[in-house]
Amino acid sequence: MVMEAQSQQTQQILRRNRPGTSAKEFCQWPDENFEEMDSTLVVQQYIQQLIRKDPSNVEKLLTMPDGQDEGVWKYEHLRQFCMELNGLAVKLQTQCFPATCTQMTATEQWIFLCAAHKTPKECPAIDYTRHTLDGAACLLNSNKYFPSRVSIKESSVLKLGSVCRRVYRIFSHAYFHHRRIFNEFEEQTFLCLRFTHFVTKYNLMSKDNLIVPISDAGEIPGESEA
Amino acid sequence: MDGLTINSFFDNDGGFDSANGANEFVDLEFTYADADTHLNEIAELYSYTEHNEFQLNVKAFEDQMEMYKLKPLWQQLSKEQHISIILKLIDQLEVLDNTMRMKAARTLLYLAQGCWVEVQSDEEQQSLSRYNVMLLYRSGVFQAFIELLNLEIENATTANVAIRKIAVSLADSVDLRVILSVLYIITEVMRAEKEISESEYKDLLEAFVQEISQPIGDELLAVKLLGMITRFCSGSAPHFPMKKVLLLLWKISLVSLGGTDTLKRLKNEYRVREGLPVITEDTLEVSKTMRASSPPPTAGNDDNIPKRSRPFRRVRNIVISESLMKQSSLDEQEQLGMELEAQNAENEDDIPDYYRQLDDPMNGDKNGSALNETEFHKQPSIAASIPPSQHPTLPWAPKVRQKDIYQFMDISRRKFIGYSLPDNCETTAGLPKPICEGINILKRHLYTSLADVQIKREEEITRNPLTKGEDEVPINPTEILYQAILPNLPQYMISLLKILLAAAPTSKAKTESINIMADVLPEDMPMTVTQSTKLGIDVSRHKEIIVKAVSAILLLYLKHFKINHVYQFEFMSQHLVFANCIPLVLKFFNQSIMTYVGSKNIIPIMDFPSCVIGEQPELTSDLVIGDSEPYSWRNIFSCINLLRILNKLTKWKNSRIMMLVVFKSAPILKRTLKVRHAMMQLYVLKLLKMQTKYLGRQWRKTNMKIISAIYGKVRHHLNSDWAFGNDLDARPWDFQAEECTLRTCVDRFNNRRYFSQISNAVRFPDQTNLSNQNTGLNSIDNGVFNGIENELNINNILNSENLIENDDAFDLTKEFKNNYETWLKEEVYCANPIDWNEILKEPNLILINEIKNSIHYSTYFMKSG
Repeated sequence: MVMEAQSQQTQQILRRNRPGTSAKEFCQWPDENFEEMDSTLVVQQYIQQLIRKDPSNVEKLLTMPDGQDEGVWKYEHLRQFCMELNGLAVKLQTQCFPATCTQMTATEQWIFLCAAHKTPKECPAIDYTRHTLDGAACLLNSNKYFPSRVSIKESSVLKLGSVCRRVYRIFSHAYFHHRRIFNEFEEQTFLCLRFTHFVTKYNLMSKDNLIVPISDAGEIPGESEA
Repeated sequence: MDGLTINSFFDNDGGFDSANGANEFVDLEFTYADADTHLNEIAELYSYTEHNEFQLNVKAFEDQMEMYKLKPLWQQLSKEQHISIILKLIDQLEVLDNTMRMKAARTLLYLAQGCWVEVQSDEEQQSLSRYNVMLLYRSGVFQAFIELLNLEIENATTANVAIRKIAVSLADSVDLRVILSVLYIITEVMRAEKEISESEYKDLLEAFVQEISQPIGDELLAVKLLGMITRFCSGSAPHFPMKKVLLLLWKISLVSLGGTDTLKRLKNEYRVREGLPVITEDTLEVSKTMRASSPPPTAGNDDNIPKRSRPFRRVRNIVISESLMKQSSLDEQEQLGMELEAQNAENEDDIPDYYRQLDDPMNGDKNGSALNETEFHKQPSIAASIPPSQHPTLPWAPKVRQKDIYQFMDISRRKFIGYSLPDNCETTAGLPKPICEGINILKRHLYTSLADVQIKREEEITRNPLTKGEDEVPINPTEILYQAILPNLPQYMISLLKILLAAAPTSKAKTESINIMADVLPEDMPMTVTQSTKLGIDVSRHKEIIVKAVSAILLLYLKHFKINHVYQFEFMSQHLVFANCIPLVLKFFNQSIMTYVGSKNIIPIMDFPSCVIGEQPELTSDLVIGDSEPYSWRNIFSCINLLRILNKLTKWKNSRIMMLVVFKSAPILKRTLKVRHAMMQLYVLKLLKMQTKYLGRQWRKTNMKIISAIYGKVRHHLNSDWAFGNDLDARPWDFQAEECTLRTCVDRFNNRRYFSQISNAVRFPDQTNLSNQNTGLNSIDNGVFNGIENELNINNILNSENLIENDDAFDLTKEFKNNYETWLKEEVYCANPIDWNEILKEPNLILINEIKNSIHYSTYFMKSG
């Protein structure tokens, strides 16, 4: 994988998407070794690079490089999940309306309150999605809890669990109520699969609450299964 | 008595003279601490009437476990299973359905309580509770419960139901109590963890302290709880369970700000930073080595509660009349002679009695246990056998204030040289040698407090607002708390005092405005005698716990504000004084204090966890009231807290000392001396010392024992004329002015440091929310200049209003007419920050003077407005 010969060349490569970059060219730069990355956002760069290469390779994606701070690793992954989840939210907007999905629910038994407000409220599913993603973005970018992306306080790492819990409900709502959109999205990104593995690996959610079926082989569950 | 046994140490009903004769000389073995033992602090969370609800918690747990298809045996599950279950429960906390939510909450409460069904002993329960709490906290339960609390506070239905009810009962606060209990248990376990030096959960503890010391969401937890208290007092939420709220607030503050040790460390840290020497004396330690004095014999006269209890006059503004001045017009020499005579005339028996403070009865017991107390009392030989190490000298190093030195030198100069040299304490030219020696001794004991340094800095900033900027305000938990409670501090203080008043044992049921019993009274009134006795004890216990929590909160805040910045302390204490804290505390002590200190409002078998672990006896049979302790820990704790609050409020403040005199505190305090505990007596003596000079010769004459005790136990201020009062500062006509000057200083401090932020917060709430995320660092950086700018703007508006009003009378200057458009453009429409450097570059004296004037004017305006 390491391309010694190209290292000279790599020096000149600017990994930027300049204004006017075409969709084909977008992010089309050669890979870089984790050890050679020297920006302050190495972890994000590394994770994004792996995702571009193969989003379904969960094992590789979640393997933490040696000497990496676990808090930062978890933080950057969750950040990436939230960023990509916006894609699902955009797709949901075409089908999930406050009038049709009046409550945030997956299976009938569980209707959730939207925790983005000072006093938790009963929001329609799409609003829950928007509020939760906004809230997550706010928290993950807040100077107070995450002033640095190099080292993160223990107290802030503890906050990640609640974000995962809430964000996961977006997956489950999409799966149970907007299966087509969910499958389309999952085929491209494997996001739910990755997320499920992530929260299981780091014990951020209980297995029993991961209600969207995921096969270990990493295949997308078909409609027939449900 | 219907199967009730009372462990009685003091016979509460009878007179003390006979019943307590033997106990009179027994010191109370009470050790003051930040809080009681962990076990007791947990037990006090629940009232006895809540007993039935414990079973609901187990039921909820068992139901949940059945749902998960597991056996309801927590200890048999693995840690992974524990975590998984907790995570599932948290998920359930966010569902819409209230019953589902509360079921999860109850299950979590049961876990926090240490799964008591499965354990055999208290220790087992405690260690399981500790393990679970740490697991809960790590999984984010605390955060989740705060959201639940938010939800429940705003729950309009329960509030409406409660408001309409005539008698609010336990049933109205079921959900809130579950939530608050979980929060409290987590906090209390963390507090106990803080006392262990080598804790395996150190990282979690640090994370917890950090979390509660910072706003959660956009609100500090302490502020949320204070808000609950205010709402309760305003009557809009009568169902809030005040005891639990207060206990939680106390513990949250204690864990976040830190207790005695932290205070001591911070004080010395700050002193070193200011270049002051470290303090080694520790009031707690010194008072531990002191022996309690025997109560003054005259106290017996007003021993029983005064038969016609004089109602307190409601004095809003202290009217200081001439009659309050020292009554004696004798000159000092003569007075001294009289006092000496009086001392000699005192009952012979009494005199060795007050030297007895140096005795050690333990010693006496060892030497001759056959001696009964009275014999022992009369044996001077035992007094001679005291080990000299006890107190060879006075317990405290004397102190001198800078002011005292100035005063002494001024007097000496005027006496010997005939002129004064204000603000100079260096030159001793022309003064005789003994005076110089005196000055040297004074200087050697000179004590500069942190407050002195802070006040001086404030003065400098006020004098030079442009060149002497604000140092960066260090952000620490106290500072965050102060900034958060500043806007509503007066209301918070009033609410806390209202509750304290309602919970005071002397207050009658007439305080109908608030009913603090809502979280102890069951829905159905008791039917049998046992039940009603039980309820009676429960109610008294409930009140005592509330007093304990309120007094601890107030004292903790005062202490922390005092070392953080003296004007923060003064702001809080001034509002306490305005809310009549001084008469309220005195009213509290105007009761049979021995009864209160020795009260037995406890049924050990009903305390958690004893009430749920093991075989439960039939409640009707053989209920033992009271424990084996000779005193009630929480009541002495509250008494000492209240005395310390009183001391903090009145120290060096003549106007407030006068309130002590006006409200006739001397006999009340004198009765309080009956409690034989050195530390408590010390604070009482301090309070008596500061007012002695106003009490008149007659009082001093009859209370020489107290005066001697003060001499022996309270710190000396060299040259201080505390007993006879020739203090120039003590002139009554200065009192009002004193309080006003203080107020001006405090307001100036608050306006400069915080006003700009607050006004911004009011005007642009959205922006401040955003900038809150930056921990307000920016807003503090530019504090000084913003403050001035704001004041200037207000001033401009003010001036322009004047212009409109006095249109005819006032001619605008030519310059103004010519240039006002430019001015408007630059100052109003563009509202660019004023470039102060521009001014400094080209010193324009007139302009600077103008600015200064307007600052003074606008501060005045804001005060009157």
